[in-house]
Amino acid sequence: MFGLLRLVVVLLVLQTVTYIGLSLYSRAVRRGKLARWWEEKGKTGDKEAFVARGLKAYDKSFRRKLILGVYFVPWVLIAVLIYIVNFK
Amino acid sequence: MRYVKWVIIGLFWLCVAAFLHYTLPQRDIVRIVNTYEERQELNDWTRIFWSRPDDQSATIINRDVQFIQGVTPEGRPKVYRNEDTSWSWPPYFKFDTANLYTEANDAISTKDTPEWVAITHYGWRNEFLSIFPNAVAIKPVAGPDVRLIPWFNIIVLTLLAALVWAIWVRWRRFRQRRIDPVIEDVEDSLYAAGEAIEERRGRLRRWLDSWKSK
Repeated sequence: MFGLLRLVVVLLVLQTVTYIGLSLYSRAVRRGKLARWWEEKGKTGDKEAFVARGLKAYDKSFRRKLILGVYFVPWVLIAVLIYIVNFK
Repeated sequence: MRYVKWVIIGLFWLCVAAFLHYTLPQRDIVRIVNTYEERQELNDWTRIFWSRPDDQSATIINRDVQFIQGVTPEGRPKVYRNEDTSWSWPPYFKFDTANLYTEANDAISTKDTPEWVAITHYGWRNEFLSIFPNAVAIKPVAGPDVRLIPWFNIIVLTLLAALVWAIWVRWRRFRQRRIDPVIEDVEDSLYAAGEAIEERRGRLRRWLDSWKSK
């Protein structure tokens, strides 16, 4: 069972690194998009406030929660693989 | 220097290709002729080509390994080992070694009344290193000429290529936008500094020259 423990620990570390990296990247992309929208929409109001509001909406969005799939998808794949390799 | 760079890049991609070729599953159509079990010494560097079916086996220097012997439709021998991969690398999560051994024994057939099976396996056969591919699954097939399409490998390689490409494109964009301007900036100021030194040296030389006797 030590093998399973090692797999879980290694995978959790990898998933956490990927999750943090993807979150930061995705937020940066959203920030760039918001800045561009502000330019395109005729630059109404304060740019900083517009971007801050957009990021706040993004933090609560479903899109952002999709990144949590980094934690779930590999385990589902492993379960499917175990079933196919051993019981099918 | 340009050749060194390309050789290093080539070696890197060669290693990636070898790694994938070793790890991804392949299928052979064979007729199983026999199975056997043999004690294997596992105390040299070729240990990396054998599995770690459980925790004890990591420290054991020899143990019994099951083998499956097959013959291809062309009459070429194929020998597979039959070992659990358990939770370790490569991630096949194979725990059913004993079941697979039973299936293999059930599928044994003679030359006169051949029973063809597709053996899914990963790994390499090398006679000099005495290493064997690990059988993962045995499926009966209609005949020796059945065409097997490696869907799993197609999907995995496509996804992998997409991932590498996505990261590569973003990295190049990032470099063009953030790193190249900085390097150009540094180069510019280096050149400027170089020119300033040159100019000063010129003045110093002129001053020194003025002391020389004409």
